[in-house]
Amino acid sequence: MTSENMVPVFSALGDPVRMAIVERLLKDGETSAGDLAEPFAISKPAISRHLSVLEEAGLVERRTEKQYRMFTMKPDGLKSMADWLETYRQFWSASFDRLERILEELPPEGGLQKEPK
Amino acid sequence: MTETTASDDLVLFIQREFKATPERVYEAWTDPAILARWFGPEGSTIPECDMDVRPGGHWRALMLHADGRSNEVSGVYLSLDRPDALKLTWAWTQDDGSRGHETEIDLQFIAEGGRTRMRMTQRVFADKGMRDAHEGGWISSFRCLDQVLA
Repeated sequence: MTSENMVPVFSALGDPVRMAIVERLLKDGETSAGDLAEPFAISKPAISRHLSVLEEAGLVERRTEKQYRMFTMKPDGLKSMADWLETYRQFWSASFDRLERILEELPPEGGLQKEPK
Repeated sequence: MTETTASDDLVLFIQREFKATPERVYEAWTDPAILARWFGPEGSTIPECDMDVRPGGHWRALMLHADGRSNEVSGVYLSLDRPDALKLTWAWTQDDGSRGHETEIDLQFIAEGGRTRMRMTQRVFADKGMRDAHEGGWISSFRCLDQVLA
């Protein structure tokens, strides 16, 4: 669950514009850079920088069609994130099993105070 | 033991029932002596645990694994609402000493006749701007689609 190898993915996704681009690509499939830029009040070069960050993190891939740069989500792009969360799920599940036992070992609560044995 | 889990790629949700009151479960999270007894996988121990239990206060735990490796984890309490709710941040310390990626843990302790239903949400990205950007929920839809096609 330590996250050094996830740093590029966290940093790529950890920006609202890039997160929104990822959501758009998942929803609509392949989209041109121009169309991706449209909803945002930011320049085309700024969008290009965001797309490069996503590409370097292995989340999106590009192809050129005539004068258009087309982007898609890489199929396994988010898999590393899902796997990382899965390790947390296991960590918590194991911890909560232990918590359950500890709670049972604590002295009884409530109005009827029993003498400790 | 009833455990429900759900996740999309950015949020992990776990719900669990405990045979104890919310006060007890809340205390298990905020008393270092108790937390050290359950926190971490089987076979691990917490030789050090410090908590400054107030909004903005820091917490820290050193986890020693069965194989001798140790990891430090730490964070800040974002909000405290004893015994109903607790919100904190969480990050592991990396090999170079800096803190790694910070996640946010949101806990609710719901009383159910002497028992507690604990709902835990762990968010990969803590801030509101990110949450708003993720509101479309397409990342989770993508995962569902993946499972159907597999």
